[in-house]
Amino acid sequence: MTTRLVEGSEAVADAMMRAGCRFFAGYPMTPFTEVLEHMAAGLPELGGVCVNAESELEAVGMVWGAAAAGARAATGSTGQGLSLMQESISEASMAGVGFVVLNMARGQGDYYQATRGGGHGDYRTPVLAPTGPAEVAELIAEAFDLADRWRNPVVVVGDYYMAHTWVDIESSADAPAPRPAPGWTLDGSSGGSGAAKLVSPLGTTKQRDGVGYDLAAHYDRCARRRIEMTAGITPRAEQVRTDDAQVVIVAYGTMALYADAVVNDLRAAGHKVGLVRPITLWPFPEEQVRAAAEGADVVAVYENNAGQMIDDVRLSVLGAVPVVGLNGFSTDSSAFGISPDVTVENLTGSILQLLDEHSGDPT
Amino acid sequence: MSTTETTTTPVEIPSTTRADWQSDQEVRWCPGCGDYTILAALQFALPDMGVRREDTVVVGGIGCAARFPYYMNTYGVHGIHGRAPAIATGVALANPDLSVFVIGGDGDLLSIGGNHLLHALRRNVNLTILLFNNRIYGLTKGQYSPTSEQGKVTKSSPQGSEDAPLIPLSVALGADATFVARTHDMDRKHMEEVFKRAHQHRGAAFVEVLQNCNVFNNHAYEQITARKNREDMIIPLTQGEPIRFGPDGSKGVVLDPKHGAVVVDTADVSEDDLLVHDEARDHPSVAFALSRLSPNMDEPTPMGVFRAVDKPVYGERNPVTEQPPGRQLITDLLHSGSTWTVD
Repeated sequence: MTTRLVEGSEAVADAMMRAGCRFFAGYPMTPFTEVLEHMAAGLPELGGVCVNAESELEAVGMVWGAAAAGARAATGSTGQGLSLMQESISEASMAGVGFVVLNMARGQGDYYQATRGGGHGDYRTPVLAPTGPAEVAELIAEAFDLADRWRNPVVVVGDYYMAHTWVDIESSADAPAPRPAPGWTLDGSSGGSGAAKLVSPLGTTKQRDGVGYDLAAHYDRCARRRIEMTAGITPRAEQVRTDDAQVVIVAYGTMALYADAVVNDLRAAGHKVGLVRPITLWPFPEEQVRAAAEGADVVAVYENNAGQMIDDVRLSVLGAVPVVGLNGFSTDSSAFGISPDVTVENLTGSILQLLDEHSGDPT
Repeated sequence: MSTTETTTTPVEIPSTTRADWQSDQEVRWCPGCGDYTILAALQFALPDMGVRREDTVVVGGIGCAARFPYYMNTYGVHGIHGRAPAIATGVALANPDLSVFVIGGDGDLLSIGGNHLLHALRRNVNLTILLFNNRIYGLTKGQYSPTSEQGKVTKSSPQGSEDAPLIPLSVALGADATFVARTHDMDRKHMEEVFKRAHQHRGAAFVEVLQNCNVFNNHAYEQITARKNREDMIIPLTQGEPIRFGPDGSKGVVLDPKHGAVVVDTADVSEDDLLVHDEARDHPSVAFALSRLSPNMDEPTPMGVFRAVDKPVYGERNPVTEQPPGRQLITDLLHSGSTWTVD
């Protein structure tokens, strides 16, 4: 094993190739572009394919074709590009085709898009939000496993910091072994209803004897599968010193890095502050947030938008503790995606003010 | 993925008949739809194509034509409106050993999927793309399409369509498609021959199938394809032959420097003036000129293979291994000076 200093995007691409990704398609968009470039550089050597597609519509279309043909496949973009992909993400979910979609977002304005989905129909996508190269590697591998297991698109949320910060990654010189084609894509058996040979968002429940395909039965199956998937994925969150915290911060992604620094500083100064960092954004780690909030005076949701994840935090806490939003940040004009108001100093000030406001509260 | 060993492994092709390519699904289009004969032609032709059913994938988008995957006893994707070429590209690149057919109508492949079609063609992805052109939106019951003639009165163009129609073959040739052909739903044998040629082609093969929609655009091509009109109105393209048609070959096609391909009375020109058809011309301009004959589908119309040229298939080109200079510099910079290796 050697340690290499690489751009965050290369760490992401490296993780995808090590997870067995052998088909990638994307359309350049900052800060996603470099992931595409690193995949283009690395995949051919592994016998894989990377396509600089003509738009995000085509990129995700190619990816679900490749996934249907048995490849571990992924695409990605940034905010707007994900908007264009929503049609395919929802249809692929209905068709039972799994692949990974990266959102190297600008800021955190796409939380709703990621966790609720911007497409049509009754579908959900698991959403993972790693921070740091080790977790990037771990969760990207997990994302492919989830996509295969649940035959559903899986979203991995990153951002500008993840894409453009240089990080050290552990890598072995061995080329990652290709993953065998998943046998489940289609089983190919002859006869029967045709379910064994056809990928279709309308389902494969076509019947004979004058009866058309049974959409109700298909959508019922999709709904059951979604419920099963929801129950089958263990929500994950990192807890930082929440045991006796008076103020519990909830933050994900890069914002959690700021919050983590603030928690450490304030703890060193004797303040009881903790952090919950959701790692799965969907399913949301409701239990972890609820447990951390128990006994706290206030829960502060720190996110780089006008307040989106705060809804999920409120649903987790269910009124047991006041929930306030430390948000309202826009993305800045540099397109870096992190508001200039997002600083350790500002967050420290906000938390101290909350401690002050709630200092007299009985706990 | 692209491993040459797998593509060269000989596989035994079992003998099949039309019935082997028919699925157990009841075929349902409007009674009299041209799609029935196109489906039959494809299923009759497939036993001669030298492929196994399990290596064959039919990808459709949305539309009447896009129902093909249900009726073919192959693998299939019934995908998203317009996106069939993109999905098929993914299928073909993820497993180059497959024979991948894209089936779509003029709406699916030229409206919402126009962009996808162009890029599949210019990349020369190994696909057989069959575009059924009935010049109408059939599934939604009769609105004008991108190939509808100007002035066409439909439910969504009660005053007549203002749009200029696309000529599918001109679009394909404009994208430098390496195989371009036209056939029609009234001639099953011709369809079979064209489909076989298209499938045989390595790279993106584009076939326009003139198709009647007897419910929403009846008689769309009757003045060309009706049996009594064919002799006068169909210009058969035969490789290496001067282009002639009409009773006793009384008509022909010449290349005119100002007007492109022009129909003439053969009595008025010498035999040497007639355009000799050569589908293998590297430059697409002559094929393009032929594609402009009968732009409104009401004049003598060429039928057959317009273009068939060999170009590298997508995914099979020799890779360029040189790094772009910029990236090389930054990499060198970062790995220069004090660097260390952690064991």
